[in-house]
Amino acid sequence: MHALNPAMMWKHRVFYLFVIPFALLTVVFGLWPIVLSVQVSLTESYTALQPDPTYVGFDNYLKIFADSRFLHSLYKTLEYTALSVVFNVSFALVYALFLSSKHVKRLGTVFRLAIFLPVITPDIAGYIVWKWMYNQNFGAVNALLNALGLPEFGGIASTSTAMAAILIAELWKHSGFYVIIFLTNIMICDPHLEEAARVDGAGYWKRIWYVIIPQLRPAIMINSVYALIQFLKTFSVVVVMTKGGPNFETNYVSYYAYQLFDEARYGEATAMASTLFVLVIGLAYLVYWLNSRSDWR
Amino acid sequence: MSTIRPRKQKKLRRERMVKISLYVLGFAVSFLFVFPYIWMFACSFRSTEEILTAPLRLWPEQFDFTAYQDILELGGISLWTYSINSFFYTLTSTLLTVLVTAFGAYALTRKPKLPGFRLLRSGFLLTIMYPYMLLVIPVYLVMYYIGLLGSMWGIILFLSVGSIQFFMFEQFFKSIPAEIIDAAVIDGASETQILFRVVLPIAAPIVGTVTLISFLLNWAQWFPVLVISRTPGTYSLPVALLSMNSELGTNFQGIMALATITTLPVTIVFLLTQRRVMEGMAAGAVKG
Repeated sequence: MHALNPAMMWKHRVFYLFVIPFALLTVVFGLWPIVLSVQVSLTESYTALQPDPTYVGFDNYLKIFADSRFLHSLYKTLEYTALSVVFNVSFALVYALFLSSKHVKRLGTVFRLAIFLPVITPDIAGYIVWKWMYNQNFGAVNALLNALGLPEFGGIASTSTAMAAILIAELWKHSGFYVIIFLTNIMICDPHLEEAARVDGAGYWKRIWYVIIPQLRPAIMINSVYALIQFLKTFSVVVVMTKGGPNFETNYVSYYAYQLFDEARYGEATAMASTLFVLVIGLAYLVYWLNSRSDWR
Repeated sequence: MSTIRPRKQKKLRRERMVKISLYVLGFAVSFLFVFPYIWMFACSFRSTEEILTAPLRLWPEQFDFTAYQDILELGGISLWTYSINSFFYTLTSTLLTVLVTAFGAYALTRKPKLPGFRLLRSGFLLTIMYPYMLLVIPVYLVMYYIGLLGSMWGIILFLSVGSIQFFMFEQFFKSIPAEIIDAAVIDGASETQILFRVVLPIAAPIVGTVTLISFLLNWAQWFPVLVISRTPGTYSLPVALLSMNSELGTNFQGIMALATITTLPVTIVFLLTQRRVMEGMAAGAVKG
């Protein structure tokens, strides 16, 4: 820790000047709302917005953990996150390895554009199109499955397929981002190592497994942490496509908390927000820690 | 000699087969990713009967602009208002993001040890970890306290700090060799001179990239706009699209038309600048 040294601070005042707008926005629209949120989570909902709210300690936390719908929501959120992280990161890794192969160099840019386009597409627009593509009458998804003679897909209307439907739409939206990160990292892999393995007679798959993938470990870690934070917070897709349904199948924590906020149950809503926040930090750190110690390939 | 040539030919043929099948795979995946755009575009021009008879058709039978005429006014507000709001929010907040995060990241990387700077950086990282959608709820309270609820400037200010932008600038400023700045210090240049004569000229490309990426990201923002707005008069295109989605009574073609309009500006910007955008985003992310 640096002791407060007014003389030094005055000498470098120009840097404080540079940092003021950034600091102001971070505090006013970042830290203050977090503090408010935690504070509201400790108050009685109907007094939360009054100048002198009633503090009830951890009552709201006890309340949400006694709420079976919240526990279900939490479970569904974790299940969805785990599946999404695995599918997104592994698809992105495989596809990035494919795109970096010398065989498809000539059209590499086109393929990359196609997969990255959804990343910059406004999410509302993308998810609305997906919602309609799953529609039983208008939709392209079942029309395509029919044309191929495959069984129909229930999409967002059926409890057994709603999660898969959302997962596919989100994979479409986000995986391009992970692909680009993997591609950037594949490009900085040491070519000498691969060459040496080739000289030693290692085939393509062996080189991928024993030479390339170990070098991509930091990228796998970064993508996993990113995806974890991303999918724990899943919100837009639910708002647009399912509104938490059918039968609370996709009622993930972000959406549930938002709904309670809408019903003026501020205390419980912010208690859920804080819980999710702790979960995000905890799990992100856990992945980071696991990765830095285990010796996997 | 005679056995080698057929074997070599065989190997060449096999390599060509591999190449062809890889291209087929690449095209198939790319097509699946681009399909929603084509479908959205086509459906916005087709009649309900046409869609029901051939849902998979990728090009409209004829260009029927009825759906576009139907959405010229939404919820009593002109489509132009939503569009102008969108451009106004996006351009203004992009300009502010670039200025605010560039100066902020510059100060924090040049003098990380000044009192308070490390604390500020940690505080910033914390706000990124907070579930964004849930941050916006208490932001409603903050906006209420500071009197910016319902104001367009409230929306713009909220959109003006971005994590990926900060990391891109931080990454860049860290990569400037210390010798360059030390030389300027020895020459007696003031900090302002160093910034404007030494750092800014070499920072031009990164400023351009961050501007582009901020434009693309801020265009898509919808939740802050929805939460801070008090009337649909301050809605942007994505929010108008969302409220059309929640309405009862479905105007499917109208929704596809509005989705096309919402997607078009960013798609054009991205296609013109794709390489920079992809490299920039990857660079910003690798740091985070």
